[in-house]
Amino acid sequence: MNQTTLESVINHGLGLGARFVEIFEEKTRTAAVAMRDKKTETATAGTSYGIGLRMLFGDDVVYGYTGINEKEHLIDILNQLAASRSEAHSQPGRIVVMADKKNAGDRLFTFSSDPRDNGQQKKIEFLKRADRAAREISEKIAQVGVSVTDHISEIEIANSEGLWVYDFRPRIRFSVNATAEDGSERFTAHEAPGAGRGFEFIENLDIERYAVTASERALRMLTAEYIEGRKMPVIMGNGFGGVIFHEACGHPLETEAISRKASPFVGKLGEQIANPKVTAIDDGTIENSWGSIAVDDEGHPTQKTVLIENGVLKSYLSDRVGARKVQVPRTGSGRRESYKYAPVARMRNTYIDAGTDKVEEMLGSVEDGLYAVKMGGGSVNPATGEFNFAVEEGYRIKNGKIGAALRGATLIGKGHEIIKEISMVGDDLEITAGMCGASSGMVPVTVGQPTIKVDSILVGGR
Amino acid sequence: MQLEQAVEYILKKTSQSGVDQADVVASEGKETSLEMFESRVKSLDISSSRGLGIRLFKQNRPGFAFTEDLSENSLNQMLKDALAHTEITDEVQLTLPANEPLPAIDLKQHNPELEQTGVDLLKKISLELETKAKAIDERVSNVPYLGAGFSSGRSILANTNGIFYSRNKSSIDAGLGVMAATRKNPQAQKLGYYVKSGRSHDIFDTSQMAQTAVERATELLSARPVESGKYPVVFSNRVAPMVFSLFSSVFYADSVQKGMSRLKGRMGEQIGSEKVNLRCLPHRDDLPGSRLFDSEGVLTSDLDVIENGRLNHFLYNLEAAAKEKVSSTGHGSRGYSGKASTGFHNMVVDTGSLKLDELLKAYDRMLYIVKLEGASGCSAVSGEISIGAQGFLMESAEKVHAVDGITLSTNFFDLLPAIEAFSDEYSDSFSSVKVPDFLVPEIYVAG
Repeated sequence: MNQTTLESVINHGLGLGARFVEIFEEKTRTAAVAMRDKKTETATAGTSYGIGLRMLFGDDVVYGYTGINEKEHLIDILNQLAASRSEAHSQPGRIVVMADKKNAGDRLFTFSSDPRDNGQQKKIEFLKRADRAAREISEKIAQVGVSVTDHISEIEIANSEGLWVYDFRPRIRFSVNATAEDGSERFTAHEAPGAGRGFEFIENLDIERYAVTASERALRMLTAEYIEGRKMPVIMGNGFGGVIFHEACGHPLETEAISRKASPFVGKLGEQIANPKVTAIDDGTIENSWGSIAVDDEGHPTQKTVLIENGVLKSYLSDRVGARKVQVPRTGSGRRESYKYAPVARMRNTYIDAGTDKVEEMLGSVEDGLYAVKMGGGSVNPATGEFNFAVEEGYRIKNGKIGAALRGATLIGKGHEIIKEISMVGDDLEITAGMCGASSGMVPVTVGQPTIKVDSILVGGR
Repeated sequence: MQLEQAVEYILKKTSQSGVDQADVVASEGKETSLEMFESRVKSLDISSSRGLGIRLFKQNRPGFAFTEDLSENSLNQMLKDALAHTEITDEVQLTLPANEPLPAIDLKQHNPELEQTGVDLLKKISLELETKAKAIDERVSNVPYLGAGFSSGRSILANTNGIFYSRNKSSIDAGLGVMAATRKNPQAQKLGYYVKSGRSHDIFDTSQMAQTAVERATELLSARPVESGKYPVVFSNRVAPMVFSLFSSVFYADSVQKGMSRLKGRMGEQIGSEKVNLRCLPHRDDLPGSRLFDSEGVLTSDLDVIENGRLNHFLYNLEAAAKEKVSSTGHGSRGYSGKASTGFHNMVVDTGSLKLDELLKAYDRMLYIVKLEGASGCSAVSGEISIGAQGFLMESAEKVHAVDGITLSTNFFDLLPAIEAFSDEYSDSFSSVKVPDFLVPEIYVAG
């Protein structure tokens, strides 16, 4: 939209009595090619386009969106939204003149090969390589699904404080699912690296390594034993193991949960909430990372936010509204899946920082427990902190040694209790890509941690 | 362009582009939702959206593309993208359906009166819920989740064989999440949800809704784990639909063909106990998943998937059916931005003859599960179920204490033949998956 339209719409919103008006315009091109059964089963591309309009009356949010960018239509939506407010009026508001449009993201995302120029055909050779590598491991690999999906988002955010910012966000992800089969037994394993880059990410990716990793894990778990369920010490592997911190502690630290008083961490800033070995960070500034953002979806610069330092709660994650409600500074964490959602505080690249312990020392300290090398997905109730996670690849630990592969393990507990149980933190920090779902939709994030030891956690099994 | 005009435009352009056949899925909708907190409107969302996706076949190679911008330029770009994709996909042998008259069944999916739903009504319902929930029980500490909304939409399925079907849907909903805690242990909070949805303004009994949410929060206060071991378990009708819906894909022919279902090669076999009857019922006017045609234009009909425990049918879309040279069962599922997959329209498990109370008397000591937590330990490919649960320890049909901090571990393909009985009652949720309470004699529990 041009400056005149932006100013007209924003000024109209202010004239309706809103204390703040924001326009979020998004155009996202998505293109994907997927192969299964050794065949190219899907090649699809499309463009999403829309405008989100947000007005704040005090701290209350009214939000609307549309795919039509005509000024009169946008003004009509503002009128509908304001009709729900008793304090709304129709008078000339203060007049906002936009600052010059700023380009936010060109330093965060280096981008040398535009997927839109490469065409979908180029993805096929990589998918065939991955499919072949995954199947070559064993005849028991019965099915392989591989895909490459890229998104190019162009976003403009303008608001009644005169901000006008443009952001270019490239994201690309490779995914492989390998299913091993033996008689009626089946097991699927999954790898899905992603980055904030162009097609060069795929060109430089060791695609065979990810395919082989997925296949080998599926094969190992195919013959795994069931674990007996009980409380036990658990060593959680690095990388995707960080999903537990993301779910069980990260979500309850978002001002969306804090402002509802629906989090175990309400009122705990400055308190010792975790073992002193635990420092946890949410960082939007990591170059080319899948979860990074140059500015958040409110146009606020992103930052590296220390959430927990040596076990002490230092910060929540906040957006514009959450920061005001909870009376904390903004952390540039206002995020949304698309123009169809109002932004709320969400995570970016979230990880437990590296410590000094060695994996061998951690294993050696466990007489009888579980080594959860790779976590599957999980979920949490942010209000109570109750979480539930699947272990995709696990092994018995007996007298400090790694033993038999174990299946069917689930970890359950309460986030605020488990972070006190982390007694060792490794030096092998790794972060991996994922997607996070919450009230403002699905957003790309990374989760991470070094290998950690949790002294006691309930492991579900049989 | 308007939605209908855009569909006609793109079909005409597609026909002129030398393709064998094509179909178009298009939809538009509007939605209003309101969220409240501590008697204030926390947020109000008013939205409208639309989009259109094409699937075309050139020398039997499919190409997909979609757009949310219905301008001529964007529609032309979409067609160009889809045509380009036919250069890289592998051949699929299928024939899109021909135009047939739709059966004269009123599925009651749309209530035009809902279009008039005002924000004031949504606010009034929400306020009543909050006020009543807080007044019911002094242990209610917070109502962090509270809101109401309505939505309406229209979708069109059209193809180059002359099909141009459309349907309208609308619904309204309201609900609350209540937190409760005891004075003795204020940190050990429990959350109870209740959501009511349907197609009429008069479905909201706010007293009953608030009461139910409060009961669901307070009944689990002071919960504690049970000892690890094997227990008989009754899954409440609140959670029974979740158990079955997590494994719905094992009945899709597409999953079976790709080795992603353990039901491969088991057609006609006894896979469940004789109590298990599982059906797809697309013409029920009281369920939200009903439809006369699927997302590929195939007319729908009832399908007995499991009858008295015997596997009778898989669900087919056009592509899966073509692979086996059989007819689609009308279970194609597709939004405008995605590829055609498979889906139940309504998944319904028959009720049994016993009351819930009778199920809970079946064993001297058993667990009654009312809450399942997360599904990441469940896999439709392997059938594994490893899931957190909350409920009650029952002895001689009496509740001994509330239970949390436990996990259940079993396998869906072991659970189906083990089901001893279903109750005679579904939950009152407006859901496309209906499964009554059911009893399983033995499940591994870790606590």
